[in-house]
Amino acid sequence: MASEQSGAEDEPPSLLWGLDPVFSAYARLYIKDILQIRESRQVPGIYFYKNHPLFQVDVLGTVVYKREREDFYCYGVDDSTGVINCLCWKDEKWRDQGDSVKGKGHGGVFNVEEQLRKLCEAQRSRCMLEIGDLLQVRGSLKTSREQREIMASSFYKVSDPVMDVQIARMLDMPQLYRDCYNKPFQVPCAELEAGTTDAGGASNIQSMLGQSVRILKEFLKVKEVPKFRPYDEATSVGPSFPTQVKNLLKETLKLLQREGEIFRKVLSPDELYHVTEQDKDLLAAIRDVIQEDSKREKYAEKGCHILHVLSSVRQRYSRNLSREALEVALKFLECNSDIISTTDSHYTVL
Amino acid sequence: MLPSPAVFHFLWEINTHLVEDGASVRTFGRLTSYLPEESKAILTSHHASMQHQVSVQTTFVEPFDPIVGAQYVTLGEIDKAEGCSEAILRARVLNCVDGVDVALLQKAINEQRNFFKERDNEAGAQ
Repeated sequence: MASEQSGAEDEPPSLLWGLDPVFSAYARLYIKDILQIRESRQVPGIYFYKNHPLFQVDVLGTVVYKREREDFYCYGVDDSTGVINCLCWKDEKWRDQGDSVKGKGHGGVFNVEEQLRKLCEAQRSRCMLEIGDLLQVRGSLKTSREQREIMASSFYKVSDPVMDVQIARMLDMPQLYRDCYNKPFQVPCAELEAGTTDAGGASNIQSMLGQSVRILKEFLKVKEVPKFRPYDEATSVGPSFPTQVKNLLKETLKLLQREGEIFRKVLSPDELYHVTEQDKDLLAAIRDVIQEDSKREKYAEKGCHILHVLSSVRQRYSRNLSREALEVALKFLECNSDIISTTDSHYTVL
Repeated sequence: MLPSPAVFHFLWEINTHLVEDGASVRTFGRLTSYLPEESKAILTSHHASMQHQVSVQTTFVEPFDPIVGAQYVTLGEIDKAEGCSEAILRARVLNCVDGVDVALLQKAINEQRNFFKERDNEAGAQ
């Protein structure tokens, strides 16, 4: 197998392994493949099928070998492509059943102890297998004394009287390989370098939008900008602004409006944005509303509800004020101790 | 320590060159006779309008409840002794699977074989 000789350069960096869904799954590989896959050079205990990192597997096969120890069973499982040892720990619960003969059989009455005993028996019978039984195992892959084995995290005897389960598995596996395991693990940086595929393009835009929102927010804060027009900012970006930049700016402004960081006081052809936390008139209007109304008997005890404040400020200051912008302003005022919140949505002044 | 994997084969392949002496195989067929005193069972199967059969040595899987006429699946080593025309399968596993969809099982086995053949061809081409 030429692939086995390839070095660590072929392995994706370990930091990105979590991005591969196969890494978190119990991989359903043929036992033949499980025995042949190479161990990672970056992290021992992790294995690679093609360039998919994995350490957990799921096998279904006939028990062809059995060894019993005090604490565990060792079953050799054969799925017709290979044979592998599976270490299956015995459950303490049913290990020493002994003679708990409390069966005071109350005829037809439901006897809890009896049912518990039957449950333990059923559990035990599903875990004690003989040669020829069908075993399903899920567990982590280990290499011990140069032998591959599976340390089972769950295992049970499968009842398959007409081979339905085995047939279904034989039919599913090739498709699973084609759809999943044989498709290479796409490492994100490889995607970005590959250019604008749909998936790569979308994630590019998302990250650029996030960045531009952060940059604009900081700019407005640091420069203490109370209000602005987009093209003022655009010209500071550069004399010629291609469509992509214009679109990015548009999206950024939309996002900031949705978050309430900026708002338009008047909806007119003049695209003027107010920066919520810097708008002294808005803050004064909100404070006044709360101060005046908190004195009224109606709001004396609990304070003013946010919706009441919103409608009052809309009448007083700007009809287009959004709830999100109000919430940003209220938070700002509260941080400055101008107002206090009595509940999640009530505000008052002291 | 662990036995070799038992590869699926059809009954009509057992007596051909496809299956070597000593190979571990898994196969299935209808139980047509069982002689407990000789520990010998016969599994048969129809293919291409011919009847094929294999002798199964049942020493390791006795006692078992023989249901003549039922489908059985067996796993074990093939013994092609010199001078014997018929191969013998020394069974390690013999399970009754009466009711199995034989056609679907055949399809599944072929599906698996095609997949491995495809894979080997791709690997060979690289």
